[in-house]
Amino acid sequence: MSLMDSLAAGFSLVGNFEAFFMLFVGLVVGVVAGAIPGLSATMAVALTLPFTFAMTPINAILLLLGVYKGGIFGGSIPAILIKTPGTPASSATILDGHPMAERGEAGRALGMALYASCTADAVSNLALILFAGWLASFALNFGPPEFFALILFSLTIIAGVSGESLLRGALSALAGLLLATIGLDLVYGTNRFTFGNPNMMGGLNFIAVLIGLFAIPEIINMAWNPMAHLGRTRALGKSRCSWADYKNSFKAIIRGSMIGVFLGSIPGIGAAPSAFLSYSEARRTSKNKENFGKGEIEGVAASEAGNNGVAGATLIPLLALGVPGDVITAIIIGAFMVHGLQPGPMMFVLNVDIIYGLFIGLIVSSVFLLIVGSVAIRGFRFVADVPKRILMPGVLILCIYGVFAVNNNIFDVGVMFVMGWVGYIMMRNRIPAAPFLIAFILGPLLEDNFRQAMLMSGSDPSILFRGPITWFFWFLTFVTVFAITRSTLRKKVPLS
Amino acid sequence: MSEKTLHLRLGIFTCLVALFLIFYAIPSFVFSPSNVGNIILSPLFWPYVLAGLTVIVGLGLLANALTSAKDTPFEDDETVHPEGSAPWMRLGALAVIMVLVMVGLPTLGMVWTAMLAFAACAFLFRTRHPVAAVVCAVIVPLLLYAFFAHVAGVAIPQGNFVRLP
Repeated sequence: MSLMDSLAAGFSLVGNFEAFFMLFVGLVVGVVAGAIPGLSATMAVALTLPFTFAMTPINAILLLLGVYKGGIFGGSIPAILIKTPGTPASSATILDGHPMAERGEAGRALGMALYASCTADAVSNLALILFAGWLASFALNFGPPEFFALILFSLTIIAGVSGESLLRGALSALAGLLLATIGLDLVYGTNRFTFGNPNMMGGLNFIAVLIGLFAIPEIINMAWNPMAHLGRTRALGKSRCSWADYKNSFKAIIRGSMIGVFLGSIPGIGAAPSAFLSYSEARRTSKNKENFGKGEIEGVAASEAGNNGVAGATLIPLLALGVPGDVITAIIIGAFMVHGLQPGPMMFVLNVDIIYGLFIGLIVSSVFLLIVGSVAIRGFRFVADVPKRILMPGVLILCIYGVFAVNNNIFDVGVMFVMGWVGYIMMRNRIPAAPFLIAFILGPLLEDNFRQAMLMSGSDPSILFRGPITWFFWFLTFVTVFAITRSTLRKKVPLS
Repeated sequence: MSEKTLHLRLGIFTCLVALFLIFYAIPSFVFSPSNVGNIILSPLFWPYVLAGLTVIVGLGLLANALTSAKDTPFEDDETVHPEGSAPWMRLGALAVIMVLVMVGLPTLGMVWTAMLAFAACAFLFRTRHPVAAVVCAVIVPLLLYAFFAHVAGVAIPQGNFVRLP
């Protein structure tokens, strides 16, 4: 199929009101959810997923991508106005955004956050379109040993999402891998940890585990401390972001977008490190470096460009290799599967219309984000005023309906509640939930490809090192593990 | 709680769980056909590998706790965790609500159970808007029912008492 044919096929899928409407709705939902502290972009994507079951795959994925992109931008609004990041990725925005809000320039900071986000989003989408297809054509040569090596490398993502302790991240990942073994064995069809319950033979439902881990702990946390969310909202002020502000920060925005694209395309690094790296690079090279941390608009631009530059790039490994770039794309992989699609190189052969439809939708999403974001900045006060002690029971009910709707099975609701308490205990013990989810998704793929490789070779493990592709991924894995070990040891033994 | 204490507790717990898996759970609840000649292809192989890795991580946590010199508590402990027994009571009450939801779903139906659960949670969280909470408790489950039952075509449980159209 030529490029024009592929584009035409993509247009035929998304060239209708419904597809763009879903994208728009997704952005609105994402911005609102991102703007409410405690309702992260991750939770918003997870809660939106059940609403997509009745939709066509392209509309469903566009809706979820809208929520993802909207959520990342939305997180900057409370970061600037109430010094509480709506998403972890917005933490860097606080450094200069909130001091600006304190001196009555919240409108200017939010405006810059929006323009930087939209620019970075467009750059990131362009990178996705340019690189995903190329990477997928390369990945078409992969067999089970190559996929095993790739997924093993992808599990080093866990280092990126482990937060403050790698050991606790590894523990979380192992729990996810163990939970993924529940169900019938992939080769022999015998029971593994099913305890004779037919509901467990197909394994635990992904969406029940996902919502249980990411939404229910927030509700339980609300029961633990109902006052935790209260904060002071700053007014927008009269100053607005001008063309001169944008022009002066343009270099920082582009640099931040590039950093976001680069780090986003590496599985596991995510938006928060990208935002901080972009911020520190902007500070290092800026003429106004002494103003950073005191309310410098270039700092807001850099951090927002850094975190939004990741959004499109995390879809590169997702679409090309079938490997999640971060925890939200891990959820989106689940959405692909729910709709009967398997992300990865074969999708570029079998579902090229959906791929190009997504590309078109993503380009439009940057424009929609500009519109939705402008309104959201003005309307934030209403969002901030939503009483969380009514919102959280609503989220609980939404979780119950959504999880039940996956398989029409009350057992899944029970799984969600149990996973919610597991997630809460993990939260209280500072064990990150993201490695658990990523390992839960990648675990069966890792085992499946390992056993297929062993069957191919008559149990000869040398097949796992059979050619340059596997060597490449083994090399990356060893380099990553070495780098992680070294940085962990350095943290433990300060050089001073 | 300090990181040292946390890692000590987690390390002990992880090692115990791993030993439980290796010596009881995997032999009892993972079934392998008797004719599997090669252990690598056996359904038991992967769970044993993971249990082994769990032991290593558990020992790593213990080693980290025992060799760590610092014993300073986490910075946000006091702000995140209020004192007194009330938070524990609320956690217990929420657990009871979840159990009742599981019981209520097949008997009362999803809509009525959701309404009761919504109201119970809102009051448990000490809402300052009781009227709005009750109104939302009625409207939200009905709207969700309308969407899932009539748009998404999901067979929402109706219960044994009052059935909705």
